[in-house]
Amino acid sequence: MKNKSNSILGMAFFGPALVLMTIFLFIPMILTLIYSFTDYFALNPKLTHFVGLENFSTIFKDELFTTAFLNTVKFVLIIVPLQTLGALGLALLINKVTVCKRYFKVAFFIPVVMSLAVVSNLWMQIYSPEGILNTILTKFGFDAQPFIYGANQALPSIAFMSVWQGVGYQMIIFLGGLQAINPALYEAAEMDHASAWSKFKNITLPELKPLCVFVFITVTIGAFRMIVQPMVMTGGGPSHSTYTIVYDIYETGTVNWEIGLASAMAIVFTVFVVILTIIQTILTKDKEDKHENKKAKNL
Amino acid sequence: MKTKKQKIFNGILVAVMLVMSLFFLFPVIWMLANSFKPDSAITADMNSAKAFIPPVPGEGFFDNYKAILFNTKFIKYMLNTLFYAAILIVSGIIVNGLAGYALAKIKFPFRERWIAIIMMLMIIPTETIITINFMFVSKMGLLNTVFGYVLPMIVNPFNIFLFRQVFVSLPDDVWEAAQLDYCSPVKYFFTMVLPMSKTVVATVSVFTFLNVWNDYLWPSLVFTSSDLLTAQIGLNSITANENTTMGQTLAVITLITIPVIIIYSLFSKQIVEGVVSTGSKEG
Repeated sequence: MKNKSNSILGMAFFGPALVLMTIFLFIPMILTLIYSFTDYFALNPKLTHFVGLENFSTIFKDELFTTAFLNTVKFVLIIVPLQTLGALGLALLINKVTVCKRYFKVAFFIPVVMSLAVVSNLWMQIYSPEGILNTILTKFGFDAQPFIYGANQALPSIAFMSVWQGVGYQMIIFLGGLQAINPALYEAAEMDHASAWSKFKNITLPELKPLCVFVFITVTIGAFRMIVQPMVMTGGGPSHSTYTIVYDIYETGTVNWEIGLASAMAIVFTVFVVILTIIQTILTKDKEDKHENKKAKNL
Repeated sequence: MKTKKQKIFNGILVAVMLVMSLFFLFPVIWMLANSFKPDSAITADMNSAKAFIPPVPGEGFFDNYKAILFNTKFIKYMLNTLFYAAILIVSGIIVNGLAGYALAKIKFPFRERWIAIIMMLMIIPTETIITINFMFVSKMGLLNTVFGYVLPMIVNPFNIFLFRQVFVSLPDDVWEAAQLDYCSPVKYFFTMVLPMSKTVVATVSVFTFLNVWNDYLWPSLVFTSSDLLTAQIGLNSITANENTTMGQTLAVITLITIPVIIIYSLFSKQIVEGVVSTGSKEG
């Protein structure tokens, strides 16, 4: 009797979420998978055929998708080291500082508060040919640069801006990690007259390793998902130099209505993100196990 | 005990960091200073340090801001976004909260499996299904409606999971006592469970607000009619307008950031804890 009323109650509580999840998460996911094997064209759904793996071979032969893919990889390769190391460096410095700690935390966090659309609009002004950055450059005797208006510089310029915007977030994560390190470890090291470098290498880095993995992977996934900055700033140009995977999914699916192709792209994209997440789970697993052990001992 | 050497080192470190932070913040400083200037002054000041100094308050000091507030639909966009955020906060707390409670406390069939499925859903990026959801919403004729924007955003696996984690540790005896008093489960949820979990309710509300306020891709797909735009999408239609001056662009991006700054300064503790705990939980 109690079991039965519990299952009714449980489904009543879980039901609304389940309905919405089914309509807006499960079905779209299944459809994305199914459509990726068809030539579904949303403006003429009656002509849909099963095409097997053709979409996947098409997109990898397609010059635009390959460009978008390579651009995304390039973007990841620029952002990930800069943002991870930058955040770690800032956190270490702020942790060392004895005065104005709060000011520094806030100062480097301010760009995080600004939305991507705001930051993109602001940096469009800053990067503009007669903008403040080029004025400063020419004042110090350098040549003016095209920045987002040059095919070679557009992607690095957007990447640099994204690091500027995001680095404060990971800095706060690292600061939390640094403050969680047991001070007794450093005291013991000081008794042994350990140098600052050896303290960093033997205590700080190993203690922060799981956080480094976490930050590394979340920044990678975040960079993989990039679309807003090029959408606002360059429209994917010049000559597709800032066109990304998600941008291609977006245009193929919602502008050209080629749902079959867009679904295949979305599957490729998702596989990458899921692989990254699995790597992260595996790499950080043993730390969790240790934690569980500690908890078990405390009990 | 501090040696002199250490003190000097600290002094140098602080000085270097101060310079670094000013370099880091130069775009923001430039934005604020020039949002009060007419375009002619912005261009004229560009060549000197004046570029980073706001003008003396006087006639026309707030002209850019006035132009944005009174000559564009900016206020309308702000109110739209606040309205959507309010709907999503209330409906999100009800839907995700109830689900989180069921997964935490009510033994119903396949509960453990649902928890596993929800954890898997957290991995899938929204960009994967955005095309299909857009197709759905447009086929249902919900483009350019509040429903079309809001419905797919209500349920959120992260928030369900967050609620579950908090509700698991609630005491069971209150629930039993409530049942003895013939308190209905739904009433119990709203009058006991939610008030007992103020922190998680606050966290979910703050993050929902920030999410709605900063979201770009989904509202840019659903809304094309200018009466429904969110602030971020409206921002683009304002800055894309040829009549909008540089100073007005800087004023509008300043204005749009103010509500977020207010939220961050009011809830900085929860937000920082949330940020740090995502790191320690998953790391």
